Amino acid sequence: MEKEFLKTIMDNQKIIYKVCRMYRDSKEDQQDLYQEIVYQLWKSFSSFKNESKVSSWIYRIALNTSLAIYRKSKPNIEYYDEFPEQIHPSGEVIVSENEDLLFAALRFLNDFEKAIISLYLEDFNYQEIAEITGLTENNVGVRMNRIKNKLKNILN
Amino acid sequence: MELNNLKFIWQNIDGANKSEIELKRMTKVINHPTLKKIRIKMLIETISLSFFLFIYYDWFDGSNKPFYINVLLVSSLSLYILNDIIGYISTIRPIRGVSLKISIEKYYIRIKYLAVSSLIISFLYGLTIILYFSSVINFNKENYFILIGIIIILLFMTYLSYRIWNKWIESLKLHVKSFISDEAS
Repeated sequence: MEKEFLKTIMDNQKIIYKVCRMYRDSKEDQQDLYQEIVYQLWKSFSSFKNESKVSSWIYRIALNTSLAIYRKSKPNIEYYDEFPEQIHPSGEVIVSENEDLLFAALRFLNDFEKAIISLYLEDFNYQEIAEITGLTENNVGVRMNRIKNKLKNILN
Repeated sequence: MELNNLKFIWQNIDGANKSEIELKRMTKVINHPTLKKIRIKMLIETISLSFFLFIYYDWFDGSNKPFYINVLLVSSLSLYILNDIIGYISTIRPIRGVSLKISIEKYYIRIKYLAVSSLIISFLYGLTIILYFSSVINFNKENYFILIGIIIILLFMTYLSYRIWNKWIESLKLHVKSFISDEAS
């Protein structure tokens, strides 16, 4: 079972990376959250019976963990009056400017909005987003419209 | 930047390249950033308090203390150990639900109960220890000052503990509210 689990995570680990980067600002916090998510995925792997898509399961656990666990320190947030035109990456990993701009925009959303938009950006439809979040499709639609408008304002 | 562009960027992010060995390490509690510390704390407390329960009667004059004080001490220490174990089990598995909404709601309720029980039991535990060691003592002015000082410290520590729990509970409450407000719209 362990081998199967590791293969599943290896194939989908960029989902975990994206969720960590969206919910935590510092590299250290992202790393801690990454580890927490992998641990929770491992603990719930036995109950995952391929009834849903692997990506749905990973997103559900990853988002749930990000929202639920206690944050030790205050997030290291830089506040801007306006959306910055350029963000300079400070880490060792070279990331694209667009990627940085995307995560900078997502910082303006609350935790719950981040969960919904990440599923939308991954190309889940409203029905799937509703199943993962536990909301009705109608509610997902209403909230998505608000998030889209918010993002448009941030980015334009 | 258009929203469709955001989708394209999101789906093409490829920042994480953990090896299979790294991922395997992450599945063990011993390598976990917080659970490892919680488990060590729980083990140390359980072992040391169990040891204290075993020897206190002979080493700390249990026979000279009133019966009810002995009962209070054993009960509060046992409750503290039990709460420690329940707390560990509760925090190790935050996800218990088919959806984010159900899971967060359940976790919020669980953490709220755990916070209340932890605060009450810790306070009782501290109070019982003070009561035990201060019983059958002829108090003078200095003793009273020391006793008041210890009680103030206990109250302060309970308050600090309350603040930490409250911060966590408030953040979970906020998430639960986000789901409810979304449903209302």
